[in-house]
Amino acid sequence: MALPLLSRSLAGLLVESSSITHHRTFSVSAVAAAIQKMTRVRVVDNSSLGNTPYHRAPRVIHVYTKNGIGKVGDKVLLAIKGQKKKALIVGHKMPGDRMTPRFDSNNVVLIEDNGNPTGTRIKVPIPTHLRKHEGEYSKVLAIASAFV
Amino acid sequence: MRIEKCYFCSGPVYPGHGMMFVRNDCKSFRFCRSKCHKNFKKKRNPRKTRWTKAFRKASGKELTVDNALEFEKRRNMPVKYNRAIWDKTVEAMKRVEEIKRKRQARFIMNRLKKGKMLEKEEAITEVKKNIHLIRAPHAGKAKQLEAKMVQKLQEDVDMADEDL
Repeated sequence: MALPLLSRSLAGLLVESSSITHHRTFSVSAVAAAIQKMTRVRVVDNSSLGNTPYHRAPRVIHVYTKNGIGKVGDKVLLAIKGQKKKALIVGHKMPGDRMTPRFDSNNVVLIEDNGNPTGTRIKVPIPTHLRKHEGEYSKVLAIASAFV
Repeated sequence: MRIEKCYFCSGPVYPGHGMMFVRNDCKSFRFCRSKCHKNFKKKRNPRKTRWTKAFRKASGKELTVDNALEFEKRRNMPVKYNRAIWDKTVEAMKRVEEIKRKRQARFIMNRLKKGKMLEKEEAITEVKKNIHLIRAPHAGKAKQLEAKMVQKLQEDVDMADEDL
């Protein structure tokens, strides 16, 4: 229970301080904006690439949309552990459409090029309005255990 | 479709209203309006914020333990659809709502009755203390004195009669 309080108190601090702390498993940001290039994200599946600690947080280097703004259901390119990997956005801090939940961190699920998820389980709640992309992300929805 | 409860004020959140927030420990919070959401972000404790239902229940101002309130609890077992059960449930819901309202109202009335008694006692002591505003302090004193003198004289006369 201390962790969300910690993230809340750190949300007011400067960007530099969060880069000093290592092995942080979720991103701490002060602004509630959608996901774009250079945003640090939190990988929420149980893939080894997403969960092994690295001295740099996973960062978005490209957003696959017409404008560079990533919302829930958009694909992005991440730089994790010195590698490039595609990922799917499953929640962001910015308030979205009505009737969609707002998350406390920018959550992302690692994905292969063909759309298959890299991990085998997602414990974090996934918004149900992802279901309208049933065809593309059906495998990601299948490994999710909680919906919100 | 389900009418949720606001985390902060315990009011109903109808579809299309309010906001939902998911914390990093996977606990989700629903708010009925931005008032509740803003108070939550200010880290206010709903059990200490006087206008919320949580406060009223925690400080004993409203009915907490009652059979009628058990119906509102969420059940996680789905019930197989049966039209008869459905119709009966709707009837039962109306009746339960009626009973619940009456019980809640009675609880509050009983709680406030004590106040009425205290008010009455207070009024009596106030009147006693300020009786000088209603009736002059030496109002009946002259008459009383006269009556006493008459009585004394009567007694003297009686004693004189006895002696004789």
